[in-house]
Amino acid sequence: MTLPLFRHNRANRVVTFDEYREEGGFEGLKKAFTGMSPAEVQQTVIDSGLRGRGGAGFPTGRKWSFVPRDLPGPRWLICNCDEMEPGTYKDRVLLEHNPYSLIEGMTLACYALGVRHAFIFIRKGYEKAAANLAHGIEEAKKAGLLGEKILGTEHSIDLDLHLSAGRYICGEETALINALEGRRPNPRQKPPFPAVKGLWQGPTVVNNVETLANIPAIIANGSAWFKGLALNPEGAGSKLFCVSGSVKNRACVELPIGTTLEAVLDACGGMREGRKFKACIPGGASTQFLKPEHMKLPMDYDTVAKAGSRLGSGGVIVFDESHCLVEATLNLITFFARESCGWCTPCREGLPFVREILTRIENGRGEEDDIAILREHVKYLNYTFCALAPGAMAPLDGLLRDFEDEVREHIVKKRCPLK
Amino acid sequence: MPKLIIDDIPVEVAPGTSVLEAARSVGITIPHFCYHPALAIAAACRLCAVKLLDGPVKGIQMSCALPAQDGMVVSTTDPEALRMRQLVIEWLMINHPHDCPVCDEGGECLLQDFTIAGGHSRRRYQGKKRTFQNQYLGETIHHEMNRCIECYRCVRFYQDYAGGTDFGVTGSAGRVYFGRFQEGALESPFSGNLVDICPTGVFTDKTGRFRARYWDYQFAPSVCQHCSVGCNTAPQNFQRETIKIVGRRNDQVNGWFICDRARFDKGYLNDPQRPREARLDGATCGYDVAIDAAAKAIGKFVAQNGAESLAFVGSSRLSLEGMILLAQLARTVDGARLCYFTDGGELTGSAAAARLLNEKNSAYLRDIEKAECIALYALDLMEEGPMLALAVRKAFLAGAQIYLVDGDPIPAREKLPFTFTAVATLDEVPFEGGGRGVVIAGAGKKDADLLDQLASGGAKLVMLQPGPNAMAGGLLSLEFGGQAFSELASAGKIKGVVCFEADLPEGLIVDVEVVACADWRTGAAAAKAPVFLPTTTWVESDGTAINYEGRAQRFQRTRVPGLPLRGLDPKYYGSTADAVAEHPPRVHRKEVPGGAERDAWRVMAQLIERLGGRTIEEPLTGRWSKLKDLDPESEGVRVFNLLQGDPRTDS
Ligand SMILES: Cc1cc2nc3c(=O)[nH]c(=O)nc-3n(C[C@H](O)[C@H](O)[C@H](O)COP(=O)(O)O)c2cc1C
Ligand code: SF4
Ligand code: SF4
Ligand code: SF4
Ligand code: FES
Repeated sequence: MTLPLFRHNRANRVVTFDEYREEGGFEGLKKAFTGMSPAEVQQTVIDSGLRGRGGAGFPTGRKWSFVPRDLPGPRWLICNCDEMEPGTYKDRVLLEHNPYSLIEGMTLACYALGVRHAFIFIRKGYEKAAANLAHGIEEAKKAGLLGEKILGTEHSIDLDLHLSAGRYICGEETALINALEGRRPNPRQKPPFPAVKGLWQGPTVVNNVETLANIPAIIANGSAWFKGLALNPEGAGSKLFCVSGSVKNRACVELPIGTTLEAVLDACGGMREGRKFKACIPGGASTQFLKPEHMKLPMDYDTVAKAGSRLGSGGVIVFDESHCLVEATLNLITFFARESCGWCTPCREGLPFVREILTRIENGRGEEDDIAILREHVKYLNYTFCALAPGAMAPLDGLLRDFEDEVREHIVKKRCPLK
Repeated sequence: MPKLIIDDIPVEVAPGTSVLEAARSVGITIPHFCYHPALAIAAACRLCAVKLLDGPVKGIQMSCALPAQDGMVVSTTDPEALRMRQLVIEWLMINHPHDCPVCDEGGECLLQDFTIAGGHSRRRYQGKKRTFQNQYLGETIHHEMNRCIECYRCVRFYQDYAGGTDFGVTGSAGRVYFGRFQEGALESPFSGNLVDICPTGVFTDKTGRFRARYWDYQFAPSVCQHCSVGCNTAPQNFQRETIKIVGRRNDQVNGWFICDRARFDKGYLNDPQRPREARLDGATCGYDVAIDAAAKAIGKFVAQNGAESLAFVGSSRLSLEGMILLAQLARTVDGARLCYFTDGGELTGSAAAARLLNEKNSAYLRDIEKAECIALYALDLMEEGPMLALAVRKAFLAGAQIYLVDGDPIPAREKLPFTFTAVATLDEVPFEGGGRGVVIAGAGKKDADLLDQLASGGAKLVMLQPGPNAMAGGLLSLEFGGQAFSELASAGKIKGVVCFEADLPEGLIVDVEVVACADWRTGAAAAKAPVFLPTTTWVESDGTAINYEGRAQRFQRTRVPGLPLRGLDPKYYGSTADAVAEHPPRVHRKEVPGGAERDAWRVMAQLIERLGGRTIEEPLTGRWSKLKDLDPESEGVRVFNLLQGDPRTDS
């Protein structure tokens, strides 16, 4: 079966505009602009069961339906390509091989939502992806697939590329909106949600790159086709898994939703020689660990959530028996503490506190009370202004839940047992 | 009207009220740092955590950002909420320098209060503290960034509320920094409010640091006497010195804030050179001796020159009480002239305001904030009523159109914290149907008929006044036939003056005899007067002032008159004995050094009595008597309706 996202990929280069079109690219766009109403496009996306690939897994069609239809004034679509979650690099791989699915997908989303002007918010380091997009936008315009009067219809849509200065928090949708407006990237109070009041106070939809890149195939092939791609009955579509750590071939692979964890690892050649799987983080740094007993777990949003973690962004970080998970968690917490936007107290001050304790534990200076203090942070860092700090606590929560003995061993032995 | 239950107390509040404010309405203070009633909600500090036990939302929530809803059951004392609040304090204290003993905020510090209240006493964090470099922010505000708790109040005030651009927040994560891009004096004329609004000791008043603690101060509600807006303040005094002046909330007049002039321009109050002693022919004398001499000199002058060539001159520095008695004093000397203004233009302007304004058309703070169209007409707003610029900004942010009527003098337009359209004449301002339109006119030359016309079309008027209490001068001038001194003098009608806190230019009194002068500062008239009577300033006296919109406000005596203890001349405490001083010294002094000043109206009352008039114990009589019990902590009373009744002032 052909999966929608990587089907156009060439080995070491970006697919060309002509190649993309020859392989059925922009057919979805044609179909929609010439034969479907915006409401029909939206309904197809709702029926497809597509869920947001940015991390939270929110049903995409439902999110679109929150945009008030009858409000005067402009509305906006923003593609979130900030991608700074440790372990996550799927949007980069996708765009470095193929910018067209995203361009077509955004045009379709604009059509469905009644958006005249959309933005791609892309992080600074993604120069190659940005160049591909800039080039792709020009070509699509030249071909009459974007810009004024698309395909000769009354619909005009513009896409703008915004190169951000790039911070992790800029990926949080309301902080992203502030950044796009030229303000400090602090998140905004919700409600109101962006779908009601977002960019310049207008209704705004923020979607991830991978989410939007799925739309062309959904429209071209229909919602039933998309649903049928998944290996589990509740799932829909495919997912990009970017695997790093102790596997043979660290790679970004496209697999059907519902593929087991074991099969995801196998797609990357399995564990490296002589290494034994200890745990993995399945969905980017802000998810809990999965353990050997989860090997047969179908990788889908609800099933992974039931197992006590999250499918998140699909960034899988694999640890083997030689890895110290205190050190791994400390590494992630160091990232989060540095990337806190500094707006609210628990995140700004609590994360450095956690970092200090984990540093001591890892260096053999941990104390018995430390575990309780860490647990307290896991609980109370939920009450922050945005989801960064709760996300940051997920690996720590996993560490204390599944590997408390390992943590305690550090404290009792006054050293890292794995070093 | 949402009905909810907070700590078992049923509460009903207006829609949109936060749970924090709802709790406050029944006397429960939920700890908070970033919440400030005048600023937009930040929900940043997370200290105001409460637990929702039942209703539409459940669990731990930030009460400042949670609108009260029907059916909510809120606990402010739930163990989980308490723990959250304790942790917030612990987190904030991780990097705090704990330097209360050398912090000028100590004793009036919200962080200190809530840290103690939360019971935080044991340090669990073992890492190093973060430290920052402080910045030089000018001569009025001291910066101590290490004490910051990142509540973002300062920047929300400075940028969002006051429209300042040279101060803000930089950095991220644990290194957010509140300051300027480069060191240098803060540019906003409202920068002093940082001192009040910062809940910790990051910004302290450099002009009064390390003199006293909060509990040492003698202070009382007062009203700023720098312009006719009449912002509410609280001068903080210690050892007969006004150390600091802070803003005091009055939602009808100034909201929460004051301008930097109100806060920092106070040196004159403490000036050791201020005239403190009564003088007769250049030599100090007892106060009553001087009053007797003044009464005698007035009598003699009138006998020699006739009453009509004598003018009793006051100014807008006088309280309403002083102004009323000045009229009575002038009447006591039958035929004498009465002047509340020196300048003819100022008298015309204030009298026009007194004539034109009424309860309906006189705009106040809220009218400006809610206006849809505002015209700034013949005025320099930042000079004549700086705090109103913030009200205009509020309207502007809500979408109002602002017009600047290009006049003479050209206003300092680049300083205005809002954008506007410049037009040549007032006629060009599109007050559509007059609805929610406000004209703000300055004290300078203006077309009163045109204003009258606009007011009849439905627009509201602000007519700023040339001095703090000039509106009272305008009202009383109409009633008692007050004249402009400069006009009388240049017409050669005046041979002598008795001045009360009047600023007469030297050139106007070259050929005029200054019979007596009462003032709290020196000037040309004081230098010429054979009899001088020192008076108290507004910080040392009780009184009433009427602001630009006709609102009477009471200010209270905030300290005793007298020379500041600091730098006191040794003559006031050294031994006067010729012999070797005994030890311990026993020099008895019952008077406050330099404390002989009297309130101007009391001096006038004594003169009236000496000149054969009645004994006056209460200056606010007749129609003014309704102001007698005006509460200094109230919002004040607009006087228009009072003045419609009995036109007679008891005389
Ligand atoms: C701290 C933080 C960082 C985030 N970073 C990203 C990101 O880099 N890319 C992304 O697509 N979504 C990111 N998100 C999620 C977005 O807020 C938002 O939910 C998402 O872009 C919605 O797109 P989707 O519905 O297509 O998943 C982040 C969220 C948080 C709280
Ligand atoms: S949790 Fe608070 S400090 Fe952390 S990123 Fe979100 S808003 Fe900023
Ligand atoms: S800011 Fe408050 S808590 Fe901090 S040193 Fe000053 S008085 Fe103490
Ligand atoms: S400087 Fe003061 S007001 Fe500003 S954030 Fe820090 S504590 Fe708050
Ligand atoms: S007062 Fe509510 S979060 Fe700061």
